[in-house]
Amino acid sequence: MIEVERLEKSYGFARALKGISFSVQKGEVIGFLGPNGAGKSTTMKILTGYLLPSGGRASVAGHDVVEKSLAVRRCIGYLPESTPLYGEMRVDEYLQFCADIRGVSSAKQKSAIARAVELCGLQRVTGKNIVELSKGYKQRVGLAQAIVHEPPVLFLDEPTSGLDPNQIVEVRKLIERLGQEHTVVLSTHYLQEVEKSCTRVIIVNQGVIVADGTQQQLVAAQPGGGLRLRVRGPEQNVLAQICELLPKGTPVTIDKRTADAVDYRVDVAAGMAPIDEALARLVVKNGWDLLELQRDRATLEDVFRALTLQVQQEALHA
Amino acid sequence: MRESLVIFRRELRSYFLSPIAYVFGILLVSVLLWYSTEVTLQNGARASAEAFFGTLPFMLILFVPGLTMRLWAEERKLGTLELLMTFPVTIWQLVLGKFFASVAYLGLVLLLTIGLPLTLGAYGKLDWTPVLGSYLASLLFAGSFIAVGMFWSSLTRDQIVAMLLSLVSLFVLYQLGNPLNIELASDWMPASMVDLVNGISPFKYFVSIARGVLDTRDFVYFACFCGFFLHANTLVLQARRQRG
Repeated sequence: MIEVERLEKSYGFARALKGISFSVQKGEVIGFLGPNGAGKSTTMKILTGYLLPSGGRASVAGHDVVEKSLAVRRCIGYLPESTPLYGEMRVDEYLQFCADIRGVSSAKQKSAIARAVELCGLQRVTGKNIVELSKGYKQRVGLAQAIVHEPPVLFLDEPTSGLDPNQIVEVRKLIERLGQEHTVVLSTHYLQEVEKSCTRVIIVNQGVIVADGTQQQLVAAQPGGGLRLRVRGPEQNVLAQICELLPKGTPVTIDKRTADAVDYRVDVAAGMAPIDEALARLVVKNGWDLLELQRDRATLEDVFRALTLQVQQEALHA
Repeated sequence: MRESLVIFRRELRSYFLSPIAYVFGILLVSVLLWYSTEVTLQNGARASAEAFFGTLPFMLILFVPGLTMRLWAEERKLGTLELLMTFPVTIWQLVLGKFFASVAYLGLVLLLTIGLPLTLGAYGKLDWTPVLGSYLASLLFAGSFIAVGMFWSSLTRDQIVAMLLSLVSLFVLYQLGNPLNIELASDWMPASMVDLVNGISPFKYFVSIARGVLDTRDFVYFACFCGFFLHANTLVLQARRQRG
């Protein structure tokens, strides 16, 4: 549905995109992640036909974004970052205008608008001026505008920024529903959003793609995490036994001592065979009490921080 | 064409959804009538709307920048330009839709002044040919001003800057066609230069059509003048896509 090949964009001397490539299949919901200024919005602006790339190629629904810009724009819906709307218009007027300009035939307009209104939960406000709406409703009008013509591909640039937690949940649900019919590319800072609604994650940083895969893949590739166990038993003895069990050089530390138990922390190196069960058996065999055994799983947030901070620090040292 | 029409309708509607349309329209009509009524009525037996159409060009210099300053600058500031340019419409369609909406709006405002010639016609013997010619000329003249103002508006996201630039450039254009300046200039400028400079100003052609004489050349001039600035307008928007 979307093919991007070595896409570049420079603003003056600043290189916002340094040759990124990825592709998106029909029906995928892509979470486009990255710190501010990573190039997320720039990519979206190019794919929606607003900006022209400085180099590389991109196509959406089989049309080149430069050569066949109008054809591309016919098959997309777009919610820009700041949700720009014409405040003086009423919600229904505005949606009518959007359907009209997007070429929805007048016979179908009524049902198309009704569908968008229903999907976005705008029934109560259709007669109101947009300027009077709350931020959450404005955001929904922006979404309705993007889907009113039922485009095969949807680009949503930070659809939940600035919303309160309840509104975020609602918009997220909406995106999930939209993901069933549309191919969606969604950019965000909120990692939970990606965890909830996206089938694949692309992380960009400083104009390059640093990760591309499903959440499971990304998390699994992240070196990882650790094990924490709370044991009631003779401290030195326990520590010695644990160290013996583990491959040489695996760091084991004492995290915390409570009245009758000690928390030990084992840093598991990437690619190490699982040792949870062996540890549990060891404790039980020695007749100590195992009060807690917990694995610190790497989250998408860890992946994100690791990938984006790492590059920044490398850049600093370079 | 259809797309331009959709833009046209939205633009024209948005004039009437905001206070601009009313404040602007009422002010322009009041100032015009107030400024010209006294002179017109003092003419006594001779009924003529000359004074009215004589003031009009200068009033348009003051008012049109106020009308055009927001056309692109506001869209850029609000970010709606980004959305507008991802709709399946060409830049020309956008520019034409906006341009004609403003011309249509100004045409409606001018129509509100029809009371003046109607009154004159009721009380005296009014020659309608120059009156209708003047209305047509005013519309074309206003159109050329709108094209200039719209061009400036596309260059900045600050409406005040757009207004000031339009104001100054319209004033200069007007002065280039002012008979007084032409006389002064012919003292030291070669005649061909004077003709050239004078020929740039829409004011010259306004006067010509306003007399009620319809000459194709005058219409061609207005078409070229507007075309030039509208084209420049599309180039600015296109360049913005390139530059980001």
